[in-house]
Amino acid sequence: MARLQSSIQTGSADFRRHYTHNRALAAELHEKQRQARFERPARDVERLARQGKMMPRERLEKLLDPGTPFLEFSTLAANMAYGGEAPGASCITGIGMIQGREVILCAHDASIKGGAWYPLSVKKIVRCLDIAIENRLPVVHLCDSAGGFLPLQSELFPDKHMAGRMFRNQSILSKLGVKQLALVFGHCTAGGAYIPALSDYSVIVRGTGAVFLGGPPLVKAATGEVVTADELGGCDLHTRVSGTCDYPAASEDEAIAIGREIVAQWDRPAKWDIQRDPIEAPYYDPDELYGIIPDDIKRSFEMREVIARLVDGSRFHEYQPAYGTTLVCGYANVWGYKVGILANNGVLFNDSALKGAHFIELCNQNDTPLVFLQNITGYMVGRDYEAAGISKDGAKMIMAQVGSHVPKFTVMCHGSFGAGNYGMCGRAYDGRLLFSWPNHQIGVMGGEQAAKTLTEVKLKQLERAGDAIDQATLDKVYDETLEAYQHQLSAYYSTSEVWDDGILDPVDTRNALGIGISAALNAPPLERGYGVFRF
Amino acid sequence: MLDSILVANRGEIACRVLRTARAMGLRTVAVYHHADRGAPHVSLADSALELHAEVPTAAYLDAAQIIAAAERSGAASVHPGYGFLAENGDFAAAVEAAGLVFIGPQPEVIRLMGDKVHARAFAAEAGVPLAPSALMEESFEAFLDAAAGIGLPLLIKAAAGGGGKGMSIVHDAADLEARARTAMSEAERYFADGRVYAERYVEQPRHIEVQVLGDGRGNVVHLFERECSVQRRFQKIVEEAPAATLPAELRARICEAAVKLATRANYRNAGTVEFILAPDGEFYFLEMNTRLQVEHPVTEMICGVDLVEAQLRLAGGEGLPWTQDAISVTGHAIECRVCCEDPARDFLPATGRARVLREPHGPGVRFDGGIREGQPITAAFDSMIGKLVCRGDDRTQAIDRAVAALGELTLLGVDHNIDYLARVIDHPAFRAGALHTGFVTEHADTLGAPVLDADARAAVVIAAALGVDDFRRLAYDIPEPYASIGGWRN
Amino acid sequence: MSTSFPFTLDGQTHSLTIRARRPALVVEVDGRCYTVSEDASGVPGESTLLIDGRPHRVARTRESDRVHVKLDRTTWSVAYEDPVTAAQHDAGGDDVLRADMPGVVVSLNAAPGAAVASGDVLLVIESMKMQINVVAHRDGTVENVHVEVNQSFDKGTELVSLHPST
Repeated sequence: MARLQSSIQTGSADFRRHYTHNRALAAELHEKQRQARFERPARDVERLARQGKMMPRERLEKLLDPGTPFLEFSTLAANMAYGGEAPGASCITGIGMIQGREVILCAHDASIKGGAWYPLSVKKIVRCLDIAIENRLPVVHLCDSAGGFLPLQSELFPDKHMAGRMFRNQSILSKLGVKQLALVFGHCTAGGAYIPALSDYSVIVRGTGAVFLGGPPLVKAATGEVVTADELGGCDLHTRVSGTCDYPAASEDEAIAIGREIVAQWDRPAKWDIQRDPIEAPYYDPDELYGIIPDDIKRSFEMREVIARLVDGSRFHEYQPAYGTTLVCGYANVWGYKVGILANNGVLFNDSALKGAHFIELCNQNDTPLVFLQNITGYMVGRDYEAAGISKDGAKMIMAQVGSHVPKFTVMCHGSFGAGNYGMCGRAYDGRLLFSWPNHQIGVMGGEQAAKTLTEVKLKQLERAGDAIDQATLDKVYDETLEAYQHQLSAYYSTSEVWDDGILDPVDTRNALGIGISAALNAPPLERGYGVFRF
Repeated sequence: MLDSILVANRGEIACRVLRTARAMGLRTVAVYHHADRGAPHVSLADSALELHAEVPTAAYLDAAQIIAAAERSGAASVHPGYGFLAENGDFAAAVEAAGLVFIGPQPEVIRLMGDKVHARAFAAEAGVPLAPSALMEESFEAFLDAAAGIGLPLLIKAAAGGGGKGMSIVHDAADLEARARTAMSEAERYFADGRVYAERYVEQPRHIEVQVLGDGRGNVVHLFERECSVQRRFQKIVEEAPAATLPAELRARICEAAVKLATRANYRNAGTVEFILAPDGEFYFLEMNTRLQVEHPVTEMICGVDLVEAQLRLAGGEGLPWTQDAISVTGHAIECRVCCEDPARDFLPATGRARVLREPHGPGVRFDGGIREGQPITAAFDSMIGKLVCRGDDRTQAIDRAVAALGELTLLGVDHNIDYLARVIDHPAFRAGALHTGFVTEHADTLGAPVLDADARAAVVIAAALGVDDFRRLAYDIPEPYASIGGWRN
Repeated sequence: MSTSFPFTLDGQTHSLTIRARRPALVVEVDGRCYTVSEDASGVPGESTLLIDGRPHRVARTRESDRVHVKLDRTTWSVAYEDPVTAAQHDAGGDDVLRADMPGVVVSLNAAPGAAVASGDVLLVIESMKMQINVVAHRDGTVENVHVEVNQSFDKGTELVSLHPST
């Protein structure tokens, strides 16, 4: 496979400007992540220390195999919600390695409101369990949660994808033969009690671990019984009497050691054996991505330059290089795994949509995972294109993409606007993982476009009503729309709402994809077959 | 010529004897206790008979069972090795009474040399030098006079006792009477026998011994001397031949004395006459060992002979294989006794299992082993499991080869003295030949295990960690791309 | 902060962990990193170990909680504690021994103040016509014996407690 030829001028003014801009964005990302991970009120840190508890990330680090990666999901979940009260949505999720086995880790963070679940905590936990199901990944739960955050119960309890879904997912995992281990470091209250109860294995720490449907205050309120947490649902009760937990541990360290030993007993089912080649680092330095990504959401850029900095040896076998050129399609390797890449190099036209649909079918024929690199303002609009069937061609691309039995991965490299998001495997399309870059923006349309559209609509309303056209009113509509959009279009809003699996520093994309593909191969291929393509 | 042999021993010496016997075409019989089943000497022999005893060592000390085994197996001769029944005159007599050939001296010679008082008297008669001594018979004053006549320093001890009770060293003539009185009262108290005994005390003595062979008809040759000065707990651990430094004239006198003694005893088969050599060049008879010595290989390597073959030929009725003139020394040989013991804890015997055993090889390198890989090392037997013997053109080469071979010799699963032996023979004082029986004590400070720096300790624990599955799996069984991505965090 | 493994050489415990595997294995010992590669010689248990580029001849064998190593010319015995045991060691374990089943005390072998080692029989109980030894699960000192000879007890009864370890 030939190496892509980069035409980037690293000394150019554009490159330097983009580089400075994107490095600043990456620095901002890392700073936000640092705050979400480590900045806690001293009083909470002291409380945990007093209880002899480790911080949740300390537990994770001790649980993971040393010198192996941890792909953390949605570090900045809830960063724009609840007044910033719940960094990371008070939980940590990700894929890591324990005893050479890929597992999902899901840790409650008791340094935030005692690990209480906010609505977005539930969403993030349910999402990681969805990932576990889709990829057949065993789960290690690190339990330490006060339960649902009661003031917001209506947003986390009743609906299909809310709290109950955690336990539904746990049950489905078990039914699929995917193992689960719960390490009970702190409280598992109310619904939380089902996490160890529905896990195949559980370890509970004497003194601090407790599992109960109703905690001592609830019991006192309900029946008048006065009982300590340890008596009610502590280590000895559950490992000697109730059998709810399996292994007593005298300390968190022991619980972790037992947990690692339990995982070491697990079989390693054969993975889906897709095409793999020896690993090769990209020829072009991924650091140059900072100079390639523009500093303006409206500016397009050459996606092959991005591909050259993600894939093994910067080698790329381009499919239909001369046809439908606004969608770059082709084969490459990521960490040795053969992938099919679809990358936007402009608006999707009929030919680019047809090319994309065809290439997706080729990848399915070849059992090749798909990687979508989004920078899309949508499918082309206008009479000529409608007449040429742009809607049905876009539909073909969606049909092929949705019908895929191979795993799909999406990276939001820049803009994701309008229907292009659908064809390019947006969040709704069951990609195994979806990551954003810090510069990413998402919406039905861009901010300025929306403001113009809404101002146009307002003008029409005023005209229909025969009212006077007041430019100040129109300006107000424009400004408010633009402001609201800028807020909601940002990658930080997107990740706060768990519309993605996290924001990546662009240079980390290759690692995240490698781990994602490796994890995806734990699951068998999905059912083959497509619906009806409209020709 | 003998046609068959039973080896009434175990371990390395049984293997050693069996190998030569096999090479000479003899039918070989081994005996063993249950604890030694699977030991190399058992499989090395053409047949092996089990000896029964509660205590394993008792089996190899059970003369009746051994003779019965020889008769049962039809073995025509018995080789006792060393230790166990090797210096038991009654055993030798019983073997001969059973119509078998005892491969060793006459029973009465064994008995004579086994009795220290009689052996001394016999040596004196033969004109072999003895350390000047005085025994208190009747008069204390007469004893003091006689003791003073020996010269200083003096060792005073109870005539009846042992174990250091009532023993003292007199360096100053003025102390003699008081020390003698103290010794007398202690002797009286401990042994109910107030007699004391004074002897020339040799400071920093060397242990020199001479290998002799006799045909039992008055003909004796010597195969020069061995030096066995390096000892721990009164047992030899490093021996060499010829002696580290010995003037030719002195060597000749010592060898001559040994031959004189053996000749007078009408000595038959292989034996060793042991001497104490004082720094002033005086040497004194210590004892005669009426058997093959542990350290016989150093003599074999410098004289180019097989002493066991000579033993078997002599026992078979052949005459001395060599005239004295035909025996000459070429090069230098060193033997290190490999023992399962902990040099850091006063050489306390160690037990375990020889999980890994790799013997060294190379020019001039010989390893006389007696255990097989996997064999348990118990407290039932002596802690010595083999001997490394290295020959060189000169002493330095012999030492260099032995140091290298000890480095190669690998025994894992039980504590041992291999590293310690290497430190002993590589010690500057050893290389300089400054030997005496207190060598190990004198140099204790510089013979300890080396203190490792952080990097060296790290190398050891890394090597160990990679032998632990938990760690090894973690190091090598992490799949890609995780192994390549490493400790990355996003 | 990451998982580490304790290896003890001559009474001094070293903490080992793995920092990297590619392009070469990097082992951290007490905070210092060493690049390690191993060439098997074909003889089981023997290899050439390159540590920071320096070759070492290694033979080794594992015997339960010890690894016997010959590194170059010297022999070492290194103790290893598996992580669970090590953690229990650190934590001390539970202080109270309880009855796993109802029964009667046959004999008491330990009194308050007695020093006991892991595996020592503290008392003998009879249950379902079987005599069962109740043994110390860790080293420690007996704090209290809660039952007497011939006393019957129910499942879960505290039998013996040990002084909390620190």
